[in-house]
Amino acid sequence: MSVEISSAFLLDVAAGQAVAAELWDAVTEQQLVHWEDEWMPVQREFVERMKAAGVERALLPQSRHWDWRRKAEAFSGSLANPSFCVMCQGMTQGMMIVNTLHKARVASQAGKELIYIEYLENAPWNRRHFASDQPRFAGVGSLLMRAAIEFSREEGFKGRLGLHSLPQSNGWYSNACGMTDLGTDADYQNLHYFEMTPEQADTFIAKGN
Amino acid sequence: MKIEFTNEWCLQMARLELEAGADIEIGVTPNIAPQPVGALESSTGSLPDANIAFGRFVRLMRRHRRQTLEGLAEVAEIEITELVEIEEDNHHKPEPRTVYQLAKHFEMPMPKMMQLAGLSAPKDASFYEEAIRFAARSETVEELNAIERAALEAFVSVLSEKK
Repeated sequence: MSVEISSAFLLDVAAGQAVAAELWDAVTEQQLVHWEDEWMPVQREFVERMKAAGVERALLPQSRHWDWRRKAEAFSGSLANPSFCVMCQGMTQGMMIVNTLHKARVASQAGKELIYIEYLENAPWNRRHFASDQPRFAGVGSLLMRAAIEFSREEGFKGRLGLHSLPQSNGWYSNACGMTDLGTDADYQNLHYFEMTPEQADTFIAKGN
Repeated sequence: MKIEFTNEWCLQMARLELEAGADIEIGVTPNIAPQPVGALESSTGSLPDANIAFGRFVRLMRRHRRQTLEGLAEVAEIEITELVEIEEDNHHKPEPRTVYQLAKHFEMPMPKMMQLAGLSAPKDASFYEEAIRFAARSETVEELNAIERAALEAFVSVLSEKK
């Protein structure tokens, strides 16, 4: 499998400084090993702590059920489902799988092709509410969103994106990413469905300029 | 696919992400039954008014200890942005870790704080009534006066009851 690597940067939160990172246009065996050996133990410990504190099951992170190895195997070889990851200091910091076969629902773009983000996850030590002190790195989400937008443009979809957000992420996609919230979707566990138009994609990228 | 990322763009976006303090996860979970609309967004077993009580409680406890927002956020090791949302946004659903940290800092029973924050269902209907009564009695932004202090102390007693 050939992987194209783009140089990027993350913010080392404790140091307040940029650190070299990479965006890969694939999720490989290396990422899956990182997920199994490094992500899962941290996630498990957090969930046990929250359960011990009496937090309702519905409010525990839903991504704790995700099996990235199964996802990668399910989508492996599918040209319609490319994947991306962010690497930093030799460790996988975030992963994403997209789908090229969805159509836009928002009125101004209805029926046009978009890139649908199937799954996106940050490493647990980068998630504010998992980390015991503070997130280790910031910027993973932006790199992956930018990758999705650029891929959408490359495919001729002009930056259009669609996704179903987990509840704890609704604010990020609505406010920070400026996407349109099309409300809950009964076909997708009543998760909120968001879309990004070409104009919203331009605005998102402009935020960093 | 190659993308040109500039240092400036990456860092600016990273800072915005940090300020937002939000999670970014996307995706459906297999074999999980659909959640009723609003179930994952509103408190399980509690009503919006109880969220008012949680925010009011945190604010009064902070003021009672003469702590600024920054001061409380620092010693409790929580994000100041979320602390502001807890105190000012009645619809804000606090993160479990934040409630955990506040319970530790205020030395309040964890299960009761989780119920007050709407993260677990109250086991006792009177708890909800006490929360509403406290929220109603404590509506002011001035320095704690004797009445507020009495209301706060009475509610602290309720939270501290071993039930």
